[in-house]
Amino acid sequence: MGARQRFVIPLAELTDADEPLVGGKAARLAALARAGFAVPGGFCLTIGAYQRFLTLSHLSDVIQMELGRKAFGDMRWEEIWDAALRIRSAFTGATVPEEVAAEIVNATDQFPEQTCWAVRSTAPGEDSSQRSFAGLHESYVEVVGLAAILSAVRRVWASLWSDAAMLYRRELDLDPGRSSMAVLIQPMRREPVSGVAFGRDPRKPDEDYALIECVPGLCSRLVDGEADPDRWRVRRSTGEPLDYHPGRREGNGSDVPLLDAAHLASLTRTLVDVESLFGWPPDLEWTGIDDRFTVLQARPITAPAADPDDKRAWYLTLRPGSDRLRALRHRIVDELMPELEALGRRFASEPLEQHSDEQLAAALDERLAAARRWRQVYWDEFIPFAHGVRRLAVYYNDVVRPEDPYEFVGLLQGEPLLAVSRNTAIAALADEVRRNASLKDLLVRASVEPAHDPQTWRESLLKQLRRLPEARRFAERLATLLDEHLDIAYGADRLSDRPDLILHNILELAQSTDLVSRQTPVPMGTSASVLEQRLMEAVGADRHEEAREVLEIGRVSWRLRDNDNLLLARLESQLLRAVHVAAERLAGAGRLEHEAVVRENAAAVLVEALRKPSAGIMALPATEEAEKPATTTASAETPRQLVGQPAAPGMQTGRVRRVRTAQDLGRFQAGEVLVCDAIQPMMTHLVPLACAVVERRGGMLIHGAIIARELGIPCVNGVADVMEMLDDGDIVTVDGHLGIATVGAPEFDLELADASGPREDARRRSSR
Amino acid sequence: MMTTPDDSTDTPASPNRAEEECSTAERVRRLLTEQPYAVLCTQSQSQPYGSLVAFAASDDLKTIVFSTAVTTRKYRLLTECEHVAFLIDSRSTSPADMMQIEAVTATGHARVVTAGRECDRWAGLLTARHPHLAPFVKAESSALIRVDVVRYFHVCRFQEVRQWVPGSDS
Repeated sequence: MGARQRFVIPLAELTDADEPLVGGKAARLAALARAGFAVPGGFCLTIGAYQRFLTLSHLSDVIQMELGRKAFGDMRWEEIWDAALRIRSAFTGATVPEEVAAEIVNATDQFPEQTCWAVRSTAPGEDSSQRSFAGLHESYVEVVGLAAILSAVRRVWASLWSDAAMLYRRELDLDPGRSSMAVLIQPMRREPVSGVAFGRDPRKPDEDYALIECVPGLCSRLVDGEADPDRWRVRRSTGEPLDYHPGRREGNGSDVPLLDAAHLASLTRTLVDVESLFGWPPDLEWTGIDDRFTVLQARPITAPAADPDDKRAWYLTLRPGSDRLRALRHRIVDELMPELEALGRRFASEPLEQHSDEQLAAALDERLAAARRWRQVYWDEFIPFAHGVRRLAVYYNDVVRPEDPYEFVGLLQGEPLLAVSRNTAIAALADEVRRNASLKDLLVRASVEPAHDPQTWRESLLKQLRRLPEARRFAERLATLLDEHLDIAYGADRLSDRPDLILHNILELAQSTDLVSRQTPVPMGTSASVLEQRLMEAVGADRHEEAREVLEIGRVSWRLRDNDNLLLARLESQLLRAVHVAAERLAGAGRLEHEAVVRENAAAVLVEALRKPSAGIMALPATEEAEKPATTTASAETPRQLVGQPAAPGMQTGRVRRVRTAQDLGRFQAGEVLVCDAIQPMMTHLVPLACAVVERRGGMLIHGAIIARELGIPCVNGVADVMEMLDDGDIVTVDGHLGIATVGAPEFDLELADASGPREDARRRSSR
Repeated sequence: MMTTPDDSTDTPASPNRAEEECSTAERVRRLLTEQPYAVLCTQSQSQPYGSLVAFAASDDLKTIVFSTAVTTRKYRLLTECEHVAFLIDSRSTSPADMMQIEAVTATGHARVVTAGRECDRWAGLLTARHPHLAPFVKAESSALIRVDVVRYFHVCRFQEVRQWVPGSDS
């Protein structure tokens, strides 16, 4: 190392040449100050401080472990979020190097002791007219005292590895390994108004007007989307307002515009002056008016992405702020979920079979529109609300700083999930079978009979059951289970039409007494009440209300993440039901082949056919190959150890059963390892039968992980290509502690001197 | 060119100098300090097997520790046969010049360390060397393995081999 590296540089001493060390945000603020603009003072923590922290804390190894687990491009956003949480946890748990802390102390000593600070990210290369990381890296305001500054600095550093920042880098093809972070630490300005201003409209940069937005109080409330701003379009040459949209005021806020004509003219002059200085129309954050006006930051306006498939804006909606989460909670719990549930029930009660062709066509239309609408709602509102549990994770970890970044999951134990209540209903049925030999005989006989027409088979089975006095209750419960819990579509099938499948599962469960206890959630680790107490103690009495709200929204979001899937699945199932009724009717009229497999995507064609009785034989749209045949190709290369995420603890060995189709549900045997692309609502009831779960889709908080953890079954997820790597019958040891699936018998033969080939592999394959 | 720790003032800059100025014990110590990974050699029923492991050595070099998942082949083998060896070498730092490569083979007896103070001590040694492996080392399905080293064989200049028994020169 040459001359001693500076970890802290006062803003007043920064030059343009320092930009690689301090990032564009800090360098531009320093340039503005030199040009005579009012900016807050303060100092900058260089990337050298970040790198020192990384080296001394071995955090590079942690980052490499997290991001090297699989190809970054193969990681879903849930997996990236998990990696980000673990990295953040490692950052917040590490110590800021003494020499860095000492320089921060020296710098803050130049200011009054009770100075309130803003601690902001300023990453080199983060802003240009082509790319902007605005809002992806974190900044903290109202930070008081050294400990709080150090804590905020660690979190700003960690935000270089936030989920959104990493996803954004992936979109922009930037290398996370070469990224670095500087931190701007400035005394806070508390002014009555703040805002943002654009030298030109980012969407219409050729138009000759500027945009100005203003909110009462801190600028961060506007940037974080917590306050609705007053908005103006103003002429660039004069600042004359072209139009004005008042923002929504909270409480009894005045309707008077926050800025007058003179303020707008002054702000517009600033925009033009900053543009002259830098050579580009700026995106400014500012605070205060008249002689208190201060520029908080200036960056080039980012051109909106031309690619309509650009998902960056969507990624950002996955991190809604407190107000948005609160609003989503109200809307989803009080409006959307009851509406979705009522709609599903109404569809289920509609006598489609008795409808006229026109009525049936109208019903199909309505269901198709409902499915489209609710899938949009799912993406626009349900998925962003799922962030509630992620916000709880970050909040808990920041406050409690637990060794295990997933300790917070204990706070969610025992939430009433629909999937768990369904499993409880199945367990009750299995229990009846176990205690009633004649019922069991009847069911075994029925289950081996072929079911040409599942609907007839269902009615015939229920009739047989009702004839047996001691099986009547079972028949009613089975019918309820099918209609209430299994109104779910899987490919071209509805599970409620396939009692044969669930019957197999019930019989399996009945024969496996050791699995009965799995039907109900098992308490794991520290109890929710102890963790809640831990949270409240760590957060301090003055933040109890805030903590309770974060906890409550987290729990609701956790519960709904499961329930919304099931309710949406019922809607899709009811659409498929209408499709089946229409297809059967058209087949009866000779306009459709009886053997045709009709899926949801045939709905629009069926509607047209129902409305045009004179048209001839109809053609169904091509379907994607949803049911892939088993790939049992002999290969000299076989997997031995597959790596994923440790999504639910425990270790179990069993034989693989891949679930890809409705038929596979009925084939599942107790004690097998459930291997699938992702645990979906139509297969959560298999989890209690399984000894372990392995999924391709990854994430600690996804459906399969939730259910497995609730039931105490080991789960490894995020295993790339698992459906191709494993075959039905393979013996696999699933290690939910480490996130590893080991293929082959746990006790294996050693290669012998006279062995000519991979004996173990041969044995593994032949033992199916 | 060998890399040496920045803060070391008395560590020789090349194996040639090392040869002239260092005892075998010191050369072994340097290599074990510089290299984070070793090839573990296990065997059972006459079948050898090699695995790359992250390791740490005790100050007196009498013990080497590493961790492995209990589902691995190496775990199975070393629980069947405690005779193991390690290969630790500088190939990654001197790949172009074979004469510059140093290697140490350590032979010894492996045993699984179960929970308790001894386990904490050796786990602490391993995680101090590899902090990012702490979750792996602590996992319920991981085992901590202690190898009591019987002898080191140090190789340099392709074929020059010296033996050293840890503790023999104290």
